Amino acid sequence: MSWITNGPLITVQVMSGLSVGMLLFLVSVGMSLIFGVTRIVNLAHGCFYMVGAYLMVTLVEVLPDRAWTFWLALLLAPIGVALLGGVIEMGLLRLIYHRDPLMQLILTFGLILVIGTLVLLAWGPDNKSVSRPDALAGSVKIFGQPFPSYYVLVLALAPLVAVALWLVFYRTRWGMLVRAATVDREMLGALGVNVAALYTQVFMFGSWLAGFGGALAAPTVAVALGMDGDVLTTAFVVVVIGGLGSFAGSFIGALLVGLLQSFGILVFPAISIVLLFALMAVVLIVRPWGLLGRPEP
Amino acid sequence: MRIRLRSGMPVVAIFTLVLVLLATAGPAAAQGKPIRIGEINSYSGLATVYTFPYREGLLMAAKEINDAGGVMGRPIEFIFRDDKLKPDEAVKAARELVGQEKVDFLAGCISSGVGLAISAYAKEAKTLYFATHCQTSRLTWDDGHKYVAHTTNNVNQYVRALAKKASTLPYKKWAHISPDYEYGHNVWDEFIAYLKLQKPDVQVMQENWPKLGETDHSSYVTALLQSNAEAFISSVWGAQEIAFVKQARPFGLFDKVKFISASVGNPDELDPLGKEAPIGAITPGFAWYDDGMQKRHPKLAEWVKKYQDRTKKEPTLGASWGYASAYIIVEAIKRAKSAETDKVIAALGEGYEMEFPWGKVIMRGCDMQAIPPQWVGTVKMNAQNKPVLGDIEETHGKDVIKSCDEVAKLRAAAAEKKK
Repeated sequence: MSWITNGPLITVQVMSGLSVGMLLFLVSVGMSLIFGVTRIVNLAHGCFYMVGAYLMVTLVEVLPDRAWTFWLALLLAPIGVALLGGVIEMGLLRLIYHRDPLMQLILTFGLILVIGTLVLLAWGPDNKSVSRPDALAGSVKIFGQPFPSYYVLVLALAPLVAVALWLVFYRTRWGMLVRAATVDREMLGALGVNVAALYTQVFMFGSWLAGFGGALAAPTVAVALGMDGDVLTTAFVVVVIGGLGSFAGSFIGALLVGLLQSFGILVFPAISIVLLFALMAVVLIVRPWGLLGRPEP
Repeated sequence: MRIRLRSGMPVVAIFTLVLVLLATAGPAAAQGKPIRIGEINSYSGLATVYTFPYREGLLMAAKEINDAGGVMGRPIEFIFRDDKLKPDEAVKAARELVGQEKVDFLAGCISSGVGLAISAYAKEAKTLYFATHCQTSRLTWDDGHKYVAHTTNNVNQYVRALAKKASTLPYKKWAHISPDYEYGHNVWDEFIAYLKLQKPDVQVMQENWPKLGETDHSSYVTALLQSNAEAFISSVWGAQEIAFVKQARPFGLFDKVKFISASVGNPDELDPLGKEAPIGAITPGFAWYDDGMQKRHPKLAEWVKKYQDRTKKEPTLGASWGYASAYIIVEAIKRAKSAETDKVIAALGEGYEMEFPWGKVIMRGCDMQAIPPQWVGTVKMNAQNKPVLGDIEETHGKDVIKSCDEVAKLRAAAAEKKK
C-alpha cells in the first residue's frame, strides 16, 4: 500500500483512469442518446465500437503512410460506422419501434451475431492492431512518473467532444428537437416534426460516437473479435449508473467507472471486478433511475 | 444464354465423365467405409484466430492420409461442429455426433473448460475423445480416464521448459500477471513451483490477477513497476496480451523489468504488435522460419511450403498441432488394426513415438499424453523490421514432464477429493 503516500503515482493513476473513462463516455453517451430518443436498448452498440476499430485498422493500412494518415483515418472510420448505423436504422429498427421491447432486444441481440460474423468474414480471424502515431508513441513525465502520450490525446479530445455535444444539444435547433423527442415523441410528431428522419439522424449520431470511441481506443488495445462484448457490458453499467437517456449522467458515470477500475485494482485487487457491479447495485437501490436520470412517470 | 442451354446436355455428360474419372483416379485413394471423427471446436468468434489454422493443419493431414490410401483402406473424415467456446454447447454437439452421426471418435477443443466437459461426456458415453488443442494438464492427469487422450502439449511441459530457461537468468525477485481463471492459475503455479525447485532463493514480490478479457491494464503496469521485481511472467494471452504490451510499453515496463511470457512469441500476438513488440521478451513459440530450427529439422521447410501453398498463409503452432493430431489419431487406429474404441485405447496404452517435420512426439502410454519438443526463444526484430522469435533453445518435453508415478498420485488425490 506504499502508493497511498506517493502523490505523483496517484496523479498518474487518476489520469489513466480518466482516459479510460473518456473512451467509455464516447460509447455510453451514444447508447444513452439512442435509448433516450428511440427507446431502444441497442445491444449491438458495442459492435459499432468494434467496427470503428476495424475500419481504423483498414484505413491506416490502405491510406498512404504519411504523418496525417492516422488523423484522417480517425476522422473517416467513425463516419463509416455512422453510415452502417443509418442502414441498420432504416432497414431494420424502423420496422420495430412500435413493437414489444422484448422483440427489440431480440433484434439487436441478433445484430450482435450477424455483425460479429460479418466482421469475421471481412477481416478474418487474426488479431489486428493500430500503431500509435510516432509523435504519441512514447510517454511524457508527470511529476517524474511516465504517462503514455497517447492518453494525453484521449484526455484532451474527449472533453472537447463533451463540450461539442453540449453545444449541439443545448444551442442548436436539432439538439432542441432531440431533447424534445426524449421527453415526448408523440407531441413532437403532432407538431409536424419529421420524427422518422430525426430517429435516423440520432441513430447515426449515436453510432458515430461509438465508432469514434472504437477508432480512438484502437491503438491502446488489440483489435479483435469479441471486443464488442467487453465494451458493451461496461458501457451498459455506465449508462445505468448515470441514468438512461441522460448525457451528463453518462459523462459522470463513465468517469466514475474509469476511476473505480483504475483504483479498485490497486486497493482491492482480488475483488476489483465486483466493485463495478457493486457500484451499479448501490446506485440502483438508492436512485433506480440513475444518478442524473429522470424517474419514469 | 440460350446457346449454352442448348449445348447443356453434352457439357453435363462430359462433366459427369470427368467427375467419374477423377473419382476413380489415383490408385491408392482410400475406398472403404470412412472412419468418422466428430470434431468440436470454436469456429466462430474470438477463438477463430487459433482454430482456423488448426483446422487447416488437420485437413491437410487428412488429405495426405486419404490420398495415401487412408487407414486400413478406409478414409478418415472429420465432421466439424462449433462449440461457441461454451462447455454446454460442446456437450450438446458431442451428444449429437455420437447419437445421430454415429461417429467413431470425438476430437477437438480450444478452451480448457470445453475440453474437460467433452472429456466428462466421453467417459460417460464410452467414446474415445482426442483433446487436440486445449492445454490444461488436468485433462489427462487429475481428471484423466481411459476415454481421453491428449494429442498436443500440456501446460506442465511448456511452462516447465520456460521456468527452466528462467532459472538460468540472473533474477531472484519475481512477479507475475495472469488472467484469473483455470489456465492463468495453472501457468503461475507450475512456473513458480518449478522455478523454486531449480533456484530455491527465488522470491515472489507481487501478484496480478486481471480478469480474463480485461481491456485496461494500466493499474497492473503501475503495480508491476512499483513491485521491485527484477522479472515477471505473463500468462495473459491473445488480444488481451496485445493490449497489455501496448499499454505497458510507454511506461517503460519492459526496460525496467525483464518480461517472460507464456505466449507472446506466437504470430497471433507478434504480427499485430509489429514495431511495438516487446524486444528481448523470453517466450515459447513455433519459430519455423528460424535458421537453426530448419537446420535441425530438414523436413520443416517442405512442410511449411506445403501449408503455405494450401492456405496462402504462414503456419502457426496450432496448424502444426492440427496436422500432428490427425496423424496421431490415425497411428493409434493403425496400431490397433481396428477402429473399435477398446482396441484403439489399448494401442494408445502401449504408447508410441512419431516423427514430425518439427521433431519427435511421444504418445505416452500411462496417461495417453503427447510429449512434443519444446522451444523457448527471445523476441527480436528481423531484417525486414518484423518481430520474430530468435535464439531458439530446443529441449524435449520428456526432460521436464511429470512422471507416470507423479501422474498416478495426482489421479489418486483427485479421486480422493471427489469422495
